[in-house]
Amino acid sequence: MHGHVDHATFLQQISSFLGFYYIALAAMNGIAALAIWRGGRSKTLFRVGPLTFTNALLWTVVAFFFLLMAPLAMSGSEPLMRWVSMPDAFKHAADAVMGPVAYSLGSFLILAVLFSFRKFFVKTWVAWLGLNLSFLFMGLSITDPDFAAIVTKPDNVPIVGLIFLLGFFTWLATAKAVKNDERIARGEKPLEAVDNEKILVWPDLVYTELICMVALTALLLLWGIALQAPLEEPASSVKTPNPSKAPWYFLGLQEMLVYYDPWMAGVVLPSVVIVGLMAIPYIDFNRRGNGYYTINERKFAYVIFQFGFLVLWVTLIVMGTFLRGPNWNFFGFYETWDVHKVVPMNNVDLSEYFWIRGLGREMPRAPEGSGAGLELLYILWREAPGIILLIGYFTVIPPAMVVYSKFFRNMYLKMGLIRFMVMSHLLLLMGLLPIKMVCRWSFDLKYFIAIKEYFLNF
Amino acid sequence: MPDKDKMSVEEILAACRKLDGGGDTSASQPSAAEEPPAPAATPAAEPPSGKKPSEMSVEEILAAARAEKAGRGEASSSEASAPTSAAAPVAPKKKPSEMSVEEILAAARAEKSRPATPAKPAAKPKPAASAKPAAKSSPKPAAGGKKPSGPLDTASILAAARKGSKRGPVSKEEAARTAAPAAAKAGSRVPPMPSKPDFLRPAAKSKPAESRRGFFGSLIGIVFGSAMAVGFVSLAVTQLLWLLGFARFMFPNILIEPPSKFKVGFPDVIGPGQVVTKFKAQFGVWIVRNEYEGVDQIYALRSVCTHLGCTPNWLEAEQKFKCPCHGSGFYKNGINFEGPAPRPLERYAITIADDGQLEVDKSRKFQQELGQWNDPQSFVPV
Ligand code: FES
Repeated sequence: MHGHVDHATFLQQISSFLGFYYIALAAMNGIAALAIWRGGRSKTLFRVGPLTFTNALLWTVVAFFFLLMAPLAMSGSEPLMRWVSMPDAFKHAADAVMGPVAYSLGSFLILAVLFSFRKFFVKTWVAWLGLNLSFLFMGLSITDPDFAAIVTKPDNVPIVGLIFLLGFFTWLATAKAVKNDERIARGEKPLEAVDNEKILVWPDLVYTELICMVALTALLLLWGIALQAPLEEPASSVKTPNPSKAPWYFLGLQEMLVYYDPWMAGVVLPSVVIVGLMAIPYIDFNRRGNGYYTINERKFAYVIFQFGFLVLWVTLIVMGTFLRGPNWNFFGFYETWDVHKVVPMNNVDLSEYFWIRGLGREMPRAPEGSGAGLELLYILWREAPGIILLIGYFTVIPPAMVVYSKFFRNMYLKMGLIRFMVMSHLLLLMGLLPIKMVCRWSFDLKYFIAIKEYFLNF
Repeated sequence: MPDKDKMSVEEILAACRKLDGGGDTSASQPSAAEEPPAPAATPAAEPPSGKKPSEMSVEEILAAARAEKAGRGEASSSEASAPTSAAAPVAPKKKPSEMSVEEILAAARAEKSRPATPAKPAAKPKPAASAKPAAKSSPKPAAGGKKPSGPLDTASILAAARKGSKRGPVSKEEAARTAAPAAAKAGSRVPPMPSKPDFLRPAAKSKPAESRRGFFGSLIGIVFGSAMAVGFVSLAVTQLLWLLGFARFMFPNILIEPPSKFKVGFPDVIGPGQVVTKFKAQFGVWIVRNEYEGVDQIYALRSVCTHLGCTPNWLEAEQKFKCPCHGSGFYKNGINFEGPAPRPLERYAITIADDGQLEVDKSRKFQQELGQWNDPQSFVPV
């Protein structure tokens, strides 16, 4: 998008937006400080001599900091804007480190940390600090043409917004859950059970809905005017845009297609996701956590769901949106989308690993001119390692879970055989995706079972 | 008026009622009469039960409203110098918006306790039942039996509705209670049956001559007999049209050409190791000259990724076909080596035509994994 303009022009273009961006951030913090101060919620952080520093003062200082950045960003001149840009060293380091592995494992680890220390992260000031930092990160990075190109692409702007929205709602739910968990630990009722005053449909609910409707319509109109629809050249059956991306909400699936055959990643796994979500009410025996936010009372359900949603769905969407470039190669945040980037990806099937590299033999192959039945037998023989591995995965692990884990044994006793089997198999199917990803990264595994003759690859 | 979002339910109700009251003033007299004053010993007599507003049932809220209204009606009627009731309730002297929850509750309780004459047990098991007596007494207009004509308030509408029978789901117990007296009444006096309306009388018996209309006549009768039939028939017809449209959708309006044979020039203009990409846009094929299994040959690769069918690009610098969708890569000979593509690209049949040009036949495909690349039709040796 900005590829054709030189750096100075690009900075000119971006500067006016960036100036207002920082002013908005300053206003945001100023209003927060004012609200704290007026609301009588200011707390003393520390004292230096006769001066007391309160949290209201802290956010005022942050507001002034952003206010200082605004004119620098607004200037549009290269030496001044260097002050409000990410340092080059950081950018290079980030690009060098980033890859599918670092990204996926990193986001998983970050989410795990956020989850384990949720008591700390749901504090309002921590969340506010996090919000400020992420805005600051965006602002500092957007002076990089490559970062700006992917973030300001009309396709991607709403996704940036969605990330913040998702973060906010996840934070909100977690905060409520943590509060409730503390109350429950103290033997009190959850907040929702205490404050269940009913309100009227008319006018309260209807008015709220009406206001939302009007506001959203206005937003959509503004959006439609401000950002042009990302139309591309006329479609042609022989020319695929490069990179060619699915709609954003399917980018997780597209990422899955990198690791799986189309029928698996496009048909089987999505159906399993839907069927599995539908099965939850039938396999869930935990009666607690009904009608109020809680994590501790249904930790298993919560962790599994958030793993599936945040790790296996959202982070893959983010990766597909921002980090996949031409030829579906991985590009760091500050990396130019180079069509000729070469990433060695020689992938090998499990059968090849087993027969050729492991046993040092030829792959089993039906003799010339044999019938279809014999050929099929040979194919099955060839793919035997993968088939056995998968059957073992699905048949050995569920009983092993019951035998070796007290937690799952309890579950088994409560759920009964069928429900437990359904649950564990859904779990194992879900686990297949990260397992396959790790196998691909660590030893270039292409397929466990590769019956390409019958379009059956797994 | 107090701030909207700081108002409690009671206050909102009170405010609504105040608005209603504008039209209600004409009916203030009956409303004042329909709410006999509460006995003087009200809030003090009953120990405060300490109910929170959130625990109030609908009946209680309504009762509170009603009690309060009595107070207001009393005030307004005294303004109009209408005869007032003897003992005014204690609490509702205040403006509704100034009343505390306790006061409203007290008023409600006072109102509720009023019909609880000694004949009836004071503690009733069901809130619905306890609300009933209050409801029964309310909608009787006192002044000359004149019905109030102005807009009714929620409480009186609800009360009127409840007077006959309880709306909504009825428990077995309740049903038995209400049905028993009805049955007893039915035994004593049978109400006169209304005469059957015309459409209920069997048509054939009354008009035997009509039966000559026969099959089609009755069919029309079935189809257009009633509004219900018309509705269902038109629904069925619409569905049928949709179905037909859907079936039509399966046969798009396209020109199905026979798989084309086309000429791609003379073989000697293609240099060794060259990939001709100019036919990709029109025919979806690359013409490649390359060595495969020791034979220098020309073959036609189909430009469709074997993963999910995107169109890969030929990258001259890297000497490979690369798919933009999920990153599958293919060597020049079409063998897949990276990304998720499970099998090599396919070849089309290629021959030398009579005039010495290469001719590609898209109707035949050759797949490497099936061992078809040895077929002499799949390449032209150079
Ligand atoms: S369609 Fe070519 S890699 Fe998926």
